[in-house]
Amino acid sequence: MESSRITKPQPADGIIIPPPLRKGDSIGVVCPAGHMPKSRMRTCFKVLREEWGFRVIEGKTLGAGDGYFSGTDEERAADLQRMLDDDQVDAILCARGGYGVGRIIEQLDFSNFRKRPKWLIGFSDITVLHAHILSRCGVATIHGPMAGAFAAGGWRKPSVQSLLRAMRGLKSDYTCDPHPLNRPGTASGVLFGGNLSLLAHLVGTPSEVDLRGKILFIEDVGELLYNIDRMLYQLHRSGRLAGLEGMIVGGFTECRDTERPFGKDVLTIISDIITAYPFPVCFGFPVSHGPENLALKSGVHHQLTIDVKGVRLKEC
Amino acid sequence: MDRAAFLTTALTLAGGQLMAGLMVPGQVVSMADAVVIPPYLRKGDRIGITSPAGFIREEEILPAVERLLDWGFEVRVGDSIGRRDGTFGGTDEERAADLQAMLDDRDIKAVLCARGGYGVGRVLDRLDYRNMKAYPKWVIGFSDITALHLDLLAKCRVASLHSKMCNSFPDDWSSADPVVRSTILSIRDALTGTRMTYEAPPHPMNRGGKASGLLIGGNLSVIQHCMGTPSEPDTNGRILFLEDVGEYRYNLDRMLTNLQRAGKFRHLSGLIIGGFARLKQETPGDEFGREVVDMILEKTAGTNYPICLDFPVGHQRNNFAIKCGVRHTLTVESQQVRLQEIK
Repeated sequence: MESSRITKPQPADGIIIPPPLRKGDSIGVVCPAGHMPKSRMRTCFKVLREEWGFRVIEGKTLGAGDGYFSGTDEERAADLQRMLDDDQVDAILCARGGYGVGRIIEQLDFSNFRKRPKWLIGFSDITVLHAHILSRCGVATIHGPMAGAFAAGGWRKPSVQSLLRAMRGLKSDYTCDPHPLNRPGTASGVLFGGNLSLLAHLVGTPSEVDLRGKILFIEDVGELLYNIDRMLYQLHRSGRLAGLEGMIVGGFTECRDTERPFGKDVLTIISDIITAYPFPVCFGFPVSHGPENLALKSGVHHQLTIDVKGVRLKEC
Repeated sequence: MDRAAFLTTALTLAGGQLMAGLMVPGQVVSMADAVVIPPYLRKGDRIGITSPAGFIREEEILPAVERLLDWGFEVRVGDSIGRRDGTFGGTDEERAADLQAMLDDRDIKAVLCARGGYGVGRVLDRLDYRNMKAYPKWVIGFSDITALHLDLLAKCRVASLHSKMCNSFPDDWSSADPVVRSTILSIRDALTGTRMTYEAPPHPMNRGGKASGLLIGGNLSVIQHCMGTPSEPDTNGRILFLEDVGEYRYNLDRMLTNLQRAGKFRHLSGLIIGGFARLKQETPGDEFGREVVDMILEKTAGTNYPICLDFPVGHQRNNFAIKCGVRHTLTVESQQVRLQEIK
């Protein structure tokens, strides 16, 4: 899981990779979606500062808001905008997801960010930012753990540790166990993905990513089985899956069923949909709302190898 | 007519589909948007019942069968009634085959979907609409059936009927709630060619004005999940109606935001908000803090078409039959809201 740093854009895809973070660099932390009490960010800040040697620039939205959102749309947009624009901020960590990025994305101005790209980190609702930044700016981002994952010793575990390596510009080389539903093969392409609900809800919007040639990873949480099926059918019927190079199925945690049982579990639902496609697919990859959530570089070229021995996802 | 609409019409004419449609007796063609209105039903006409989404038991459709017979129609019960595959009324192949048989059978003049649930989206791209285009007929239903309404309009340019289904017909007609009876009777009225008129109660947040255009719409979640697919609706110049059931407020906001971002609210002629029934309970202290009316006003800011709230359509007792793909006039005034079919 080691080796060289990347600072240059990769000409093959024309996607800009933000510069790696070094000790002393500053990480701006914001809450662009749901509310999060500051007390739940303490471990994260302590680790960022004391263990990893970064400075933390606290956004105004941390702990802000008194209900669902961490402040009004204007407040959340202004806070994230400031971090995008501020040259003193070297990376932006979203403290949590929830819901709300879609409400402010049109208000954000990425012109300074395009000139001085920096890593943007998060997952779940932050999928909207990953998609928008890849499709509108052509800049890579990090899909990975947020502030809550650092707590209760979580920061010592592989997921949060993989975030540090990703931010420092180290190339990832992940492996995971074989799964009976895996469809073997190799794929090479730009990695992109995130929360299935958000990916479905982005279809037709200006933030939508062209999935052709991509290795797509998906995960979700707390969804109804029929709705997962409906979202996958939307991607299927809209031709969004047709040009994929490969698919990585992460965790579908806390899935729920309706009063009338759907009749299939979530992995069978996904497995049934992909029978229409030739690309390799792996299941059970550690990207999820659970404790296993490795940092994945969205927009960066990867190689996916799936065989009887297991799965390897290697950053190129 | 804008260029795209002109081209569509021109291509349709060139392809002979519209001409073929014109030869069917008793049908009306709205030339402005070139949607074919299926022939209205007469006594003795046969109505097919099928379940392209969720499963339903035979006894559950009996009240509807009895009512249709009482109205003087004949009934043909499809193979999907009584079938079950998980949540579905049979496998995708079985449900598609049953619906296909009803669309193809020229002795069936209308197709009534027995219930919604989920599953229409899984069969749409298996359907062959060649006969439906040549010999259009009314397709009836709502909720998950919204996908079929959108698909028929997008692929066939055929009007259809958004209404209650078999599972909403009362067991005992004579003792049924008057509102339930009038909504069920509105299905018969719509199918037999009555020019439909609807009144909605005034609402303080309505936006006044008068609009006319093709009426389209249905279940918000289903519309959202048709985005990008061949069934995605063109909303430009249309009167759009929306309803939903059992959703989280944040998810409604997310869907409305994404439809807005996709430009679906930008060039509407008018907007009709029906019921948003049985919204999911929120966690105390983590309430979304916005109601559907707030969301609607937010997403339509900067537009000036009429908007009416609390229209009698949705997962509720006062869910009246309305014709999708048919031209209507929407009049929203402080004391009166009226939707009227244009003949």
